[in-house]
Amino acid sequence: MAGVMETEEQARHRFQLELEFVQCLANPNYLNFLAQRGYLREKPFVNYLKYLLYWKEPEYAKFLKYPHCLHMLELLQYEHFRKELVNAQCAKFIDEQQILHWQHYSRKRTRLQQALAEQQQQQPQAPSHGNTTSK
Amino acid sequence: MRKRGETVMAAAAAEKSTKEKLLSTLDDIEVLSRELIEMLALSRTQKLPQPGEDTDILELLVQRDKEFQELMQTAVEQGKVHQEMQALEKEVEKRDSDIQQLQKQLKEAEHILATAVYQAKEKLKSIEKARKGSISSEEIIKYAHRISASNAVCAPLNWVPGDPRRPYPTDLEMRSGILGNMSNMPTNGVNGHLPGDALAAGRLPDILTPQYPWQSADVSMGILPPHHGNDFGLEPPGHNKENEDDVEAMSTDSSSSSSDSD
Repeated sequence: MAGVMETEEQARHRFQLELEFVQCLANPNYLNFLAQRGYLREKPFVNYLKYLLYWKEPEYAKFLKYPHCLHMLELLQYEHFRKELVNAQCAKFIDEQQILHWQHYSRKRTRLQQALAEQQQQQPQAPSHGNTTSK
Repeated sequence: MRKRGETVMAAAAAEKSTKEKLLSTLDDIEVLSRELIEMLALSRTQKLPQPGEDTDILELLVQRDKEFQELMQTAVEQGKVHQEMQALEKEVEKRDSDIQQLQKQLKEAEHILATAVYQAKEKLKSIEKARKGSISSEEIIKYAHRISASNAVCAPLNWVPGDPRRPYPTDLEMRSGILGNMSNMPTNGVNGHLPGDALAAGRLPDILTPQYPWQSADVSMGILPPHHGNDFGLEPPGHNKENEDDVEAMSTDSSSSSSDSD
């Protein structure tokens, strides 16, 4: 394994490339694309995916804008997952679940807001009941 | 009569236990005394067939008696020695049980210590792990802001199906990055969710290339990717995750310890 000496410029460029690529892995459609073209079966590619795990370290992870990619990267280490990705339904399922999960906090927040709004509607009525009874 | 006495004596010459010697001597005495009495009974009616036989028998009798007394003495001494031996054996038994007790306690202590050492090591490991993963809270908050503000981890509140925004880089974003512009990305309308994308044809002129924040790292930080040999075809260096420490602390010399209760 010959260690190629790269310049700092090249290293920085490679950094950006790998940053982009690892984040692209968050896209299930892209994963399906890679699977269907057989990239996920190639051993060098699998080794590359293992090498990319360095993005999990905090000093690298802080550059990731789409953190979902890390979970996908972890799943991609498993051969079964790579095999399943060839199916378009699998990718679609992942996409749907991913989007639903993405909306989780928004949904939770809107539910809380609704609950809060309902509570506030009830509260103004309660004191008025008390007023009418006292005569 | 004499011959009988001699044969009995000859038998006693071999190594025999005190008890046997005693018994044989008693037999001799019995024989001799019977002879004497017979002789005395005979001498009433007839003369002695052999002169001096009575004195011989008497001498032998006295001799046997002396032997008997000596043997009794020896027997008494042997009895004493035997008693001492028994006392010592009891002592030995007591010491043995003491040693076994100590052994049990030692084993227990060793077990407890081994557990304690093991747990201490685990604790140290977790401390080390925690220390390694410590990040300043400010940085975490900054990061949290970044990923939330761009709607990367939480959907925008006004999102409806049909909204092109996604928790991953979209086709558009992918193509406008370095990767997208490096080689010819095969265009396939199935994967891209912007099928009628005018950008799908190729590159944008440089000034129009949108710089999405997910691509530009803060290069001035000087962080570089880990070095790797360019050949990913070979097996990556194996990280042996086996923790030999765990096995070493827990394996104690398992001798017969029947008590398993903690």
